[in-house]
Amino acid sequence: MDRLEEIEKEEREWAKLIEGCERKPEFKTYSGIPVKALYTPVDLKDHDYLEKVGFPGKPPYVRGVYPTMYRGKVWTTRMFSGFGTPEETNERWKLLYKEGQTGFSAAVDSLTQAGMSPFDPRVGPEVGTDGVPLYCKPAVAAMVEGLPIDKIGVALVVEDAAATITASMYFNVYMERGFDLKTCMGTTQNDLLSMSIGCLQYRSLDPAHRLKLACDLIEWCTADKNVPKWNPINFTTYNYREGGIDAIQELAFGFANAIEHINHLLERGRKIEEFVGRLAFHLSAHNDFFEEIAKYRAARRIWYKLMKDRYGVTDPRLLIFRFHIQTAGSTLTRQQPMVNIVRIAYQALAAALGGVQSMHTNSYDEALCLPSEEAVLLALRTQQVLKEETNITNVIDPLGGSYYVEWLTDEIEERVWQYLGKIEEAGGLTKTLETGWLYKEMTTAFNKRRRMIESGEEKVIGVNCYVTDEEIPIRVFRTNPNAQEIEKKRIEKLMAERDNRKVEELLDKLRKVCEREENVMPTVMELTREGAINQEIYDVYREVWGEWKANIVF
Amino acid sequence: MMEKVIRVLMSKPGADGHWRGAVTVASALRDAGMEVIFGGFQSIPEIVETAIQEDVDVIGISIHSMAHMAYAKELMELLEEKGAKDDFLVLFGGIIPDEDVPKLMELGVAGVYGPGTHTADIVRDIKEKLSEKRAE
Repeated sequence: MDRLEEIEKEEREWAKLIEGCERKPEFKTYSGIPVKALYTPVDLKDHDYLEKVGFPGKPPYVRGVYPTMYRGKVWTTRMFSGFGTPEETNERWKLLYKEGQTGFSAAVDSLTQAGMSPFDPRVGPEVGTDGVPLYCKPAVAAMVEGLPIDKIGVALVVEDAAATITASMYFNVYMERGFDLKTCMGTTQNDLLSMSIGCLQYRSLDPAHRLKLACDLIEWCTADKNVPKWNPINFTTYNYREGGIDAIQELAFGFANAIEHINHLLERGRKIEEFVGRLAFHLSAHNDFFEEIAKYRAARRIWYKLMKDRYGVTDPRLLIFRFHIQTAGSTLTRQQPMVNIVRIAYQALAAALGGVQSMHTNSYDEALCLPSEEAVLLALRTQQVLKEETNITNVIDPLGGSYYVEWLTDEIEERVWQYLGKIEEAGGLTKTLETGWLYKEMTTAFNKRRRMIESGEEKVIGVNCYVTDEEIPIRVFRTNPNAQEIEKKRIEKLMAERDNRKVEELLDKLRKVCEREENVMPTVMELTREGAINQEIYDVYREVWGEWKANIVF
Repeated sequence: MMEKVIRVLMSKPGADGHWRGAVTVASALRDAGMEVIFGGFQSIPEIVETAIQEDVDVIGISIHSMAHMAYAKELMELLEEKGAKDDFLVLFGGIIPDEDVPKLMELGVAGVYGPGTHTADIVRDIKEKLSEKRAE
């Protein structure tokens, strides 16, 4: 009998000890993967270390994308924030920078996303209430005024159609500050799914044209090398994970989305090597601790295989899965909000142990209002405790080799491939948005989570267990009530100063570019330079391609 | 006598696109036997027009952008103007601070539901408040 057989025999003996003594008949992960009480070498008996895990910075990158990981550079602390006016957001960013933040990330308001203006009564009350209003170039300039944007990257969390506009405004501001676009670092989220199934978008365009615009930005920045250090897209699975889908669906939707963009760019005649190195991801850090860690590890292996096997990429620098995380806002409660601090810390720990490149930790007051300064600083400190005090950054992928984590990594990978196959069978990502299939997957998840929480199957402290009558009131943060007026004035001033005839001519030019389905970026760069506002540009998209409404089935 | 089926319009004013809450509550109300019209994004005039045309009993407003006071005021004023303020039970849900709840109630909103609300409580409230209303 060899050692493995001995272990197997011992395990059978041991299993008798726990039979009938457990709290529940079955234990499962958040994603419904049944798990055993214990994992041993037997579970990894066919596990080939070099093939399945390898070394950091080496295929299949399960242990991390860089050889040194946090011993070389610790993850970037990039707090996502934006509210009120660009000036107030600038003040918050300066505070975060002073307190040790190492990257900037702009949360934009709903009007910026929807390409609408503060003059529109349908949306006027929302100016600056859920993000920073960036309707014109002077607003973008005010947001980054006085910040070292040539040294620290700025993430613009704005999607596809609106991303072409906001990014162009930012690039013009960058050049006007005297810097060369070749040195411009940062990210546009530019994620088709974020404003399709993560959130819905008011006055949206059809998925195929939003895909086109997202790819215009990738092509112009990366493939054409206009902004070579910019990450033109960040596939943001975070936003749809927030809806209640599981870790398997999260990765599968994200990869399906990436595949759709890659295929679209290949169809344009671009080579994958021209752009794939700048594709990045933004995942969720959710509650199921080990499942999340295994998810990040599995994601790196899946991406490596996709690039190598499906797209024939050979350059090792182009095979790595780089990602940012945000701790899961949907797990936070308005009841006993201080408990959120603990949830956020565990989620961030999982991401750090999973080898993340950049992190946003949520604030404990997010189920009640936009984050207050005090809450944001605490969220920032949460990351700094992990970085400076816990020593978790000493050893790379410290859970690698855990029988459970390795088994779960393999299991998640297998399930993601299966689910990805299901999406491809349903026609691929754009198709599943058009038919409503993807919406149905989301609404099914919404209702599943509702039933699980309401039945108590999924425990939520303060909501369905350990409920207290006495709630400690927290101070509610409110955005500037004059934001709408301030932004109206900013636009009026700009329009009085700009060359309106020139803007009109350029809008005509854009109309023709859109009709011919050419890359919009060169014209949008000119337009934003000359002072066109977001709505004027977005309206051309809507005029040429029409408005689109999602087919929501539930 | 058959009980009249309760009709609900569930809408989102403004451009805020957080839709999980609206769909989750809409599904729960439908599971409880109500008829739900999912308005999705609608301006306040569109919400009022739909509510009147569809002859609903309840207007559900889902909002996560903190602009609830402005939209509530616009909605209640327009209902008043149309002489329809008493025709509907107006409910709000989403990210709404506790301290704003009395102000919304003062405007005529009949209930406000934040994250973590059990949907059975919303169903019960609707039934109770509608029967009170009908008894008046």
